[in-house]
Amino acid sequence: MDGETGKATASWESGLLAPVDRLRLDRADSPTPGLVEGTEPGAGQKSAIFYHAQSYEDLTAEAEKEAQRASEPHGSEGHDGEEFSTLVGKKSTEERLNSDTSSESRGKEEDVSSEAWRSHKKHVFVLSEAGKPIYTRYGTEEALSSTMGVMMALVSFVEAEKNIIRSIHADGCKVVFLTKSPLVLVGVSKTGQSEKELLRELQYIYYQIVSLLTLTQLNHIFQHKQNYDLRRLLAGSEYLTDNLLRRLERDPGLLLSAVTCLPLASSARDVVSSSLQAAKAKNLVFSILLAGDRLVTLVRKKDQFLHHIDLHLVFNLVGSSSSFREGEGWTPICLPKFNTAGFFHAHISYLEPASELCLILVSTDREDFFNMSECKQRFMERLSKRSAYQAMKEALKCPNYSVAQVGIPELRHFLYKSKSSGLYTSPEFPEVYQSDEEQERLMGLYQDLHSCLHHPTRPLRSFYRCSEAENLLAWVTSGFELYLCFSPMSTKALAVSAVNKLLKWIRKEEDRLFILSPLTY
Amino acid sequence: MSAMRVDAKVVMLGKESVGKTSLVERYVHHRFLVGPYQNTIGAAFVAKPIQVGEKVITLGIWDTAGSERYEAMSRIYYRGARAAVVCYDLTDSSSFQRAKFWVKELQNCEEHCKIYLCGTKSDMIEGDRSLRQIDYHDAQDFAEEIGAQYFETSSKTGKNVDELFQKVAEDYNSSAFQFMTEETGVDLGQKKDSYFYSCCHNN
Ligand SMILES: Nc1nc2c(ncn2[C@@H]2O[C@H](COP(=O)(O)OP(=O)(O)OP(=O)(O)O)[C@@H](O)[C@H]2O)c(=O)[nH]1
Ligand SMILES: [Mg+2]
Repeated sequence: MDGETGKATASWESGLLAPVDRLRLDRADSPTPGLVEGTEPGAGQKSAIFYHAQSYEDLTAEAEKEAQRASEPHGSEGHDGEEFSTLVGKKSTEERLNSDTSSESRGKEEDVSSEAWRSHKKHVFVLSEAGKPIYTRYGTEEALSSTMGVMMALVSFVEAEKNIIRSIHADGCKVVFLTKSPLVLVGVSKTGQSEKELLRELQYIYYQIVSLLTLTQLNHIFQHKQNYDLRRLLAGSEYLTDNLLRRLERDPGLLLSAVTCLPLASSARDVVSSSLQAAKAKNLVFSILLAGDRLVTLVRKKDQFLHHIDLHLVFNLVGSSSSFREGEGWTPICLPKFNTAGFFHAHISYLEPASELCLILVSTDREDFFNMSECKQRFMERLSKRSAYQAMKEALKCPNYSVAQVGIPELRHFLYKSKSSGLYTSPEFPEVYQSDEEQERLMGLYQDLHSCLHHPTRPLRSFYRCSEAENLLAWVTSGFELYLCFSPMSTKALAVSAVNKLLKWIRKEEDRLFILSPLTY
Repeated sequence: MSAMRVDAKVVMLGKESVGKTSLVERYVHHRFLVGPYQNTIGAAFVAKPIQVGEKVITLGIWDTAGSERYEAMSRIYYRGARAAVVCYDLTDSSSFQRAKFWVKELQNCEEHCKIYLCGTKSDMIEGDRSLRQIDYHDAQDFAEEIGAQYFETSSKTGKNVDELFQKVAEDYNSSAFQFMTEETGVDLGQKKDSYFYSCCHNN
């Protein structure tokens, strides 16, 4: 069991794109379904559908190494720590003064010196190593240039001392720094999320920016002109980053490093997949069919894997913009987990004008537009002749299911991720979590549980937690990750027995909820 | 859909938010979308058949993104184009500078591409004349200097939009006609469709 996990991780670390193929014997007959990776409900049949890490470790692996380095007993560490907090104290008053003077330049957006601006739960700033503002989640970069300057001063101060500044804790606020040359990302959070979690979110933002420009171009720009104002090139893309931040708060997929599927009879899904498979072209690498934020299917070139982060960046791009609704889109996109150096070219179009079904064809060739357009045409022709298209449209009418179907009265909601396929499933939010605040609160609880299960030094296998509003159980095996939310009336014994019942239900429904037979061309 | 043959490749160029997408949207779908502005990502392609005299010509319109981020890509969109609609916002003089940049680029790289200079959002200056930042005659003079047609359009009201694309199609048609008559003696039977410019698979 553990050996398997180890191997898969190793294959990631050595940079192989293909995950280790695992034996999947007895998947259907397994008495305790899914305790072993590869036999859990939702595990694909042959190989993974896209590249996915075991968990989110890959995102924080580097940061962790840094953390380890930092925690090694090295000279003046603790001392520096103290210096920071005094420094932060001093600087924050300076910030306030500065932002007062700059308040005239406040844009159409928010007044950065206002209480409202300060009271946001999470701020994210991106700046260049020269301290030039690149992005702020709230307010305008201009109004914040002095604040960014202070941040940069902090970063360079510490770097000069050969320490890498990682985080500052003050006033119920965590300030987290991520230096990804030539960019520096700063998160300021009051959410109680762990440092690791915040770093992971900053990584996502970093990848978002790289996906628009490539790292090669970023490096090139700043090598030539340290002082370059990157906002020129990012103009009009801020909403992508805004949206990604919102998703990080709300989308279980980003938390679980997994993707969810449109529930669809496997017979219909297989037809859709094979129609996509048939519509191939020389430079076509990935064909992705989305229904809103859900994957219908993904067909890929043999031996090429799409990392879940890259897939989420694609989801974010498509989901954030209505611009692909007009005709057929053709855009360069860097998939940073695949390759930070170059652009792919994505043909993005909806199957029908008002449809939620969006097809993304990723090619390596920038001249490939008409080839991709033809692939889409061939796919559509094949599909429209078959009943699968109708089945898919039917499925779209109820893209979600109610937790009541599971038949466990106390169970309110859950997240289940199959580790080997990197796919997860989750029912719609029940009545009690209808408002945005409630949904975000529940996501926050899941995040806490997730942090406990993935604690860098003391990870837990399972965790039960009672509170006034709900009881929660989280459980991780080498095969799956499961988060359950029960009514506050339930008991621990009940929760434990519910797990088995739920796993059996997922096993029964797995054909519909997951992509079990991914195809390649 | 795009599988239909495209006769003439038309590219929309201009600074971001000058209204290229709105222009195409008005022309192709006869509507003007209100709501928050959504900048184009990369480029969008749409094929639109248009009646010219007895004939139907299909324009393959490339609506490019104005963001500088995509500047390096722009060649693939205008290469081989028969017409370029270079847009600027009548209420924004910086966008006129950007239009001049595109004109230069086209003159250098795409000499066979006909240029249509288009001042957008004319409804705004009709509402408030002081909003106009580019004098009509200045724009007209510039257009003459570069041998371009000049239009002032409003995608909001639809004013001049159909006229613009109609002109593009007619100009294409008459030049294609010339091209065809030149070809006739040479190779009529074999290359029946050769006068159709195909923007697919060039190279
Ligand atoms: N009043 C008025 N507003 C317009 C007109 N055309 C466009 N707009 C507005 O200008 C903004 C930008 O329009 P788009 O058509 O998206 O601009 P674009 O040139 O495609 O921008 P990019 O895709 O970023 O290059 C939108 O808010 C439109 O509503 C017009 O004719 N009149
Ligand atoms: Mg546009």
